[in-house]
Amino acid sequence: MMKTYKQWARGKGIVFVLLLFTFYLSLFTPVEAKVYIDITSPSSKKLAIAIYDLQGPLGREISEIIREDLTFTGLFMCIDKASFIEDPSKDFNPQNWTPLGIEAVVKGSVSGERNLTVAVNLYDTMEAKPVLSKQYQAEKDLLRPLAHNIANDIYQSLTGAQGVFRTRIAFVAEAEGDKGIYVMDWDGQRARKTSVKSKLVLAPHWSPDGSQVIYSSERGRQWGLYLLDFLKMTEKMVFVSRGTNMAGDFFPQGDKVIFSSSKEGTPDIFTLSLKDSSLKKLTSTHGIEVSPAVSPDGSSIVFVSDRGGSPQIYHMRSDGSDVRRVTFEGSYNTSPSWSPKGDRIVFSCRRGKNQICTVKPDGSELVQLTEQGNNEDPSFSPDGRYITFSSDRDKIKGIYIMRTNGEAQKRVSPKGLKSNGPRWSPN
Amino acid sequence: MKGIVAETGKMSRFLSLLALTLIAVSFMLLAGCQQRKATRPEGASTPPAKEQSSEATQQKGPEKITEQKTGTVSSQDMASGSAEGKEGMFADVLFDFDKYDVKDSYKAEMQSVAAWMAKNSSATLSIEGHCDDRGTNEYNLALGDRRAKSVKDLLISLGVSSSRIETISYGEEKPVCTEQSEECWEKNRRAHFVILVKAGK
Repeated sequence: MMKTYKQWARGKGIVFVLLLFTFYLSLFTPVEAKVYIDITSPSSKKLAIAIYDLQGPLGREISEIIREDLTFTGLFMCIDKASFIEDPSKDFNPQNWTPLGIEAVVKGSVSGERNLTVAVNLYDTMEAKPVLSKQYQAEKDLLRPLAHNIANDIYQSLTGAQGVFRTRIAFVAEAEGDKGIYVMDWDGQRARKTSVKSKLVLAPHWSPDGSQVIYSSERGRQWGLYLLDFLKMTEKMVFVSRGTNMAGDFFPQGDKVIFSSSKEGTPDIFTLSLKDSSLKKLTSTHGIEVSPAVSPDGSSIVFVSDRGGSPQIYHMRSDGSDVRRVTFEGSYNTSPSWSPKGDRIVFSCRRGKNQICTVKPDGSELVQLTEQGNNEDPSFSPDGRYITFSSDRDKIKGIYIMRTNGEAQKRVSPKGLKSNGPRWSPN
Repeated sequence: MKGIVAETGKMSRFLSLLALTLIAVSFMLLAGCQQRKATRPEGASTPPAKEQSSEATQQKGPEKITEQKTGTVSSQDMASGSAEGKEGMFADVLFDFDKYDVKDSYKAEMQSVAAWMAKNSSATLSIEGHCDDRGTNEYNLALGDRRAKSVKDLLISLGVSSSRIETISYGEEKPVCTEQSEECWEKNRRAHFVILVKAGK
């Protein structure tokens, strides 16, 4: 009897604690912000999303661009329109989609002819409510930027991270014997010339604010560094000397650039202040020192040197101290560039032909990402999820993009346009 | 009996302590969550109306999509005022793959270049460094630079004044042969001589 009372008392206590726990859990589930896709997890399952053609003129075109953007990320599975279940004449009920495993639905409308007004709703089908409800206005000419903008908002609502769908890629292309700087949308659309032209132009490098690019050009038997300002649309020569001068990255503050120059005999690494044109020499060997890249925090530099007998990637502090070798595998590793977090370096690695590889700055975790043709000039997208590079795999050299794990490789530059030296814009 | 009462008392004290802790923790976490929600810029849980009003300049209006217009810019043409050259007077110096040392077999030719320079004391020489297209662009430009420099150093050692020799690298940009064959690559890995005549003559 007494034993039973003891058990009862204890049992009641446990029930009470369990009840509390239930209350405790119920408190947090709805309050915690929902993360639909954890983009930091490499193995996360794709989010199934149904994107309706927006109603009205050009609605289909806009929706198609949004689908292409989201699909390229590898994070979403856009459901085939043929399998859409809604009866358009009835009221929309997001919950109808849940039995099919579809987690998000995009609907909206377009009105206007020359000036488009677009309303977009993104629904969470489980919660049966819009998680994004927004209006946009754009001139008809800006249909693609408009669609990319909507894709960015959807992407951000579902992942919490900024999309890159309005970024651009600057590159060098050849037409009628002259080379020039071109800019295109990240997906290769709307490629446009800047009218900068010369017989020889090298890969452009973006300023941190995305308003300028610096590049090298050979004019009158001299290699100079030129700065193109997209806001003022001016080109300015910032450095010229005897020898070969090749522009590298801007430093994060935007007031200084790194470059290689053979002005003192052999190619070495220098910094150039854009304020007072002062120079600082960071390396001095008898061999080749070239292709410097500045880490995102400005503290380190990777570059190519043949001091060990073959071109390899080296790492040093941005004052030129503490030089150490990064790559050891293969006899030809060139064109390094940093990931936006500074945790990886992408470069061209020779494996028979030139391929794209990434490695950690300490030299560990080497990964080869390409296999077809010659692949050169790699650089990361500003969110660090994609890489752009040039390749001759389809005979004519063109600009390609891929995910950082090597998936989804595709040419984006216009077909037949001989192009190289791509650089992803910072914004 | 006494023992049981004591034990039950201990038990319920423990349980109520646990309950209090849980409640306290709950409130702390709840406060934390709300705070996080408030700092979240455009998080998934943010109500749509709030998101629009956060755009201070446009009250509840649609977002206007604009794009910075890119005009055109013309590059300064630096070709005038520089030099025109006379080519083909000396044969190209060819290099091994990825190398920039001048092979001994070119000794006689280098001596004849030096002798010509001694005879034509007003001439200036430009040495162009070139590469085959198997390397990457920038490294090839550096390699071409180094090849031209090697030839220049050799000529200086044979008595030509350094002020009369210019070098320029074109990397893989100006091939003389465009096939993908060893024969063709070899022709492209070269130092090429141009006798400079001052422009404006």
